Amino acid sequence: MLFSFDPRISRLELPESAPPPPDKAALDQFPTYEVFHQRKENTAYVYVGPVHAPEADVAFLFGKEQFSRRFPCTGMWVVPTEAIRVTEYGDDQQSVYDRLPLLPADALTTADAAGLEAYDIFHLKKRGKAHTHVGQVQAASPEAALQAAKAAFGDQRPVVNVWVIRSADLLRSDDDDRDMWTTTPDKKYREAIAYKVQDRIDRFKQER
Amino acid sequence: MNPTLDLLYRLADDQLILGHRNSEWNGLGPILEEDIAFSSMAQDKLGHSLQLYTLLHELGEAEPDTVAFTRNTPQFHCCQLTELPIGEYDFSLVRHFLFDHAELLRFEALADSSYEPLALVARKVKGELKYHVLHANTWVKRLGTATEEAIERMQAALEFTLPYALGIFETTDAESEIISSGLFVGEEQLQRRWEASISKVLAQTALTLPDLRLLTPVTGGRHGQHTEHLQPLLDEMAEVFRLDPTADW
Amino acid sequence: MYGSASTHDIPTQAATGLENEDPILLAEFEARIARGEKIEPTDWMPQLYRKQLTRMIEQHAHSEIIGSLPEGTWITRAPGFRRKMAQMAKVQDEVGHAQLLYSAAETLGKTREQMLSDLVNGKSKYSNVFNYPTPTWADSNVISWLIDAGAIVNQMANAKGSYGPYCRALDRICAEEAFHLKYGHDAVVHMATGTPIQRKMMQEALNRWWPAIMTFFGPSDKMSVHTEILMRWKVKMATNDACRQQFLDMYVPKIWEIGLTLPDPNLRKNEDGVWEFSEPDWEDFKRVINGDGPCNAERIAVRRAAEENGAWVRRAMQQPQARYVRPLA
Ligand SMILES: [Fe+2]
Ligand SMILES: [Fe+2]
Ligand SMILES: [Fe+2]
Repeated sequence: MLFSFDPRISRLELPESAPPPPDKAALDQFPTYEVFHQRKENTAYVYVGPVHAPEADVAFLFGKEQFSRRFPCTGMWVVPTEAIRVTEYGDDQQSVYDRLPLLPADALTTADAAGLEAYDIFHLKKRGKAHTHVGQVQAASPEAALQAAKAAFGDQRPVVNVWVIRSADLLRSDDDDRDMWTTTPDKKYREAIAYKVQDRIDRFKQER
Repeated sequence: MNPTLDLLYRLADDQLILGHRNSEWNGLGPILEEDIAFSSMAQDKLGHSLQLYTLLHELGEAEPDTVAFTRNTPQFHCCQLTELPIGEYDFSLVRHFLFDHAELLRFEALADSSYEPLALVARKVKGELKYHVLHANTWVKRLGTATEEAIERMQAALEFTLPYALGIFETTDAESEIISSGLFVGEEQLQRRWEASISKVLAQTALTLPDLRLLTPVTGGRHGQHTEHLQPLLDEMAEVFRLDPTADW
Repeated sequence: MYGSASTHDIPTQAATGLENEDPILLAEFEARIARGEKIEPTDWMPQLYRKQLTRMIEQHAHSEIIGSLPEGTWITRAPGFRRKMAQMAKVQDEVGHAQLLYSAAETLGKTREQMLSDLVNGKSKYSNVFNYPTPTWADSNVISWLIDAGAIVNQMANAKGSYGPYCRALDRICAEEAFHLKYGHDAVVHMATGTPIQRKMMQEALNRWWPAIMTFFGPSDKMSVHTEILMRWKVKMATNDACRQQFLDMYVPKIWEIGLTLPDPNLRKNEDGVWEFSEPDWEDFKRVINGDGPCNAERIAVRRAAEENGAWVRRAMQQPQARYVRPLA
């Protein structure tokens, strides 16, 4: 049996040596979901990173602890990566909306409002930073939503990159579950500020 | 024992021992993200136990560290469910599901406890417990409707774990006074709510809940009688702490 | 770093392949980096950039997940509530760092499962220090403080690198590391200024770990064409020696002030402000990183066991219609 200083590992009773496992099957690869957080009430949702999960409800569980356990947060959205329509990336200081090809007018105006759906729009202001929610538009397709976003938010700049997400694809935290998000302040042991050791060092130096 | 102390020790010991057990998964879980989530919940449990031992300390008992790290098996009042080794993930998840449903309902009831400091703690931990139960339900629903392999595993884990889970509700001599003084609604009430609560989730899966009346609860934990697993756990937990009882670590 | 493992395997012989890249695209790419702009996943990038970054971020991720094991060794035995909860939170953070870094590496095209597979098959490397054991609680404290301190030196430098997703991950990681560093320092100070048993345990752990700590940043860089290019592209942000000097300057005084000694008679700061020390045993370093260290087998075996024991869970959770796509950013 493999020796370990870790009692948890000893309990696994691992063999001293074993042949290397076969390459992992592709089936272990879950889809990815992108996660957005709201840091404070009434502020915009900001991209925090991806999780691997089989479905949105599990992505929600995972996203909460991976991204909010250490930083206060009041709400979360998750969306399948696949459902995000991404523009090309522009240079810092520019707006990608300027490069947007104009769609024929009939592609934009849908006569019946019933065909319209809500889309959430996210801007990246600077390369290396995080996409931030700027608002919602009503449109008949992701392409049309991008044109609508240009009309609504095109005066903001710079805009290095835009994400367009059909609002129905976003899984959002429930307003009734606010209390689930406000637990971090009680967890001081996870914060640098809880560790103050200078007094002890000074005392030690004096006594020497 | 004084009913308040009796209740607090049972609550605190449950949280400490299960939090300790669940922490054993840290770094060894089945999926990176799940590893993180499970660790958070284990930390929450330790946090709860610390708050409860602090209440005990305010009532004249020893410091939380002393109480947690220096007692031996007969002085522990956790139910035996909490002390069982982590086993495989099916067992750990089912234990988490069965225990945390009871935990959420217990603390919901304790929010109205006549002992105000305890009511305060109960109200404070509600947000955390909500996540724990959401987590447990999501997993049980997913695995309980997934592959044949997963359903079989979860069913077997459920059947193994249920008698221990019924031990959560073992009462002590203080029970009638606990209820009459408004400290807590009592274990019988809690168990009834718990059965309804877990049944509702299990009904959405391919898992079957056996007739609980036919099961023999595994009891003794509330009276200091434990499985052979508890003392080694306590020895391990206190290995460093006991190296130098005078030390400030 | 956790990322240091990468720094000693910059190729020195192989061709850069730059002559095969489109010169116009290459010029635009280099101009963007020179302007201080970050590269994002869908941008054009030279093969060498993609390859070297993938390797570096992947090794960094492996170092986090393997790095959770030596401290995990004491997770069930941490003395007292304060330490017990913090030890758990710290180990949890390291797993979280692995998650963030694997995600960043994935944006370059390699799947997470492939990376995990390469790790358990011994095809990828991770920071060599984690091939050493933690026989006492004090060893774990030394890692929490000093290995994390070393990691922070590396990570702060790399956070100013050129690849957007890596920078985003590192910003978050650095914010979390502040807790690790303070926690580790706090624990070491308590031991070093504590009872005789504690002081002895701490001094012995420090003596055990010091040689490994001195190798943490890797050997002096061989200045090659590759090294120069990777520094120009802001993949490699500082030389190994510069990182080591910065680390010594920040932490040796803090070690000495609490009455601990370091097992190197040649360790001192000269009049020019440069730290002198005995050259670490790089032959031993090479031997260990190539598999012959005290804990290599255990670390890999544990990861394998975790993968194998969790396989049924992942199998059950997999949805037939699900399709993997790389994370976006
Ligand atoms: Fe819980
Ligand atoms: Fe880390
Ligand atoms: Fe760290």
